[in-house]
Amino acid sequence: MAKKESHDRSEIPAWKSDFPISEEQATHVNRREFAKFLGLLSGALALGNGVIVIRALAFPSKPLEGEHFVCNADEVAVGEMFQFEIRGNEIIPYILIHLEEGEWRAFEQKCTHLTCAVRYREDLGKIECPCHHGFFSADTGEVLQGPPPRSLPRLEVVIKEGKVYVREEKQDKTV
Amino acid sequence: MSDFRRSQNEAHPNKTNTLMLAIIMLLILFVGIQIWFLFGALNNALQDNIYFALTTFIGSFLLALASFWLLRYLPDPLKKSRGKRK
Repeated sequence: MAKKESHDRSEIPAWKSDFPISEEQATHVNRREFAKFLGLLSGALALGNGVIVIRALAFPSKPLEGEHFVCNADEVAVGEMFQFEIRGNEIIPYILIHLEEGEWRAFEQKCTHLTCAVRYREDLGKIECPCHHGFFSADTGEVLQGPPPRSLPRLEVVIKEGKVYVREEKQDKTV
Repeated sequence: MSDFRRSQNEAHPNKTNTLMLAIIMLLILFVGIQIWFLFGALNNALQDNIYFALTTFIGSFLLALASFWLLRYLPDPLKKSRGKRK
């Protein structure tokens, strides 16, 4: 009886049966397929690297043009931090820090690790990323501790007639 | 009738296995290096370091070519070789 049933099943053409692909055939990945997949992955990674190059060549990052008004100097006390945004092609958040009398710093607020918002800790005198406890120097924006790979992008602060402006900082690009 | 290939396969029954393992290991090595390159390129492109991105791209492209070239040496599927014996 069982033999007859199996005989009947084999007579049904694959396109007519409910499950034309056997489970083993569907789930089994042999080594040839795995090696071919690795080859494909290798090609995709090379392509990804190419996209980075094309993107960097075609869309170079534009420096900030002109001076941007932030706030009045008397609005930010010594040791305080002020958040502001600059709208261009995209909105970039920045922080203005009043370190000492006459000492101002402006940094991008996005942590270079995973773009969490950083904040100035007056008690430590450092900029902290609360997500993974990365610390940056409040003076230069350099990484002091934690996972961030790069220092915070910095803007130059200019005080004119009691008003705070920021502009692109002229810096040497060292590798 | 026995031929060179058949006698080779009979003399070294594990050859296909060894070859396959070697190819997969090399591919994993290549892909690992490429991931490393990509990670470095991503980090450096953000610092406007185009030369690093370009160098890693050339390296990654050469490794991809090497990976494709390695696939030529994948042993034939067993079913196919059995069919040949018949």
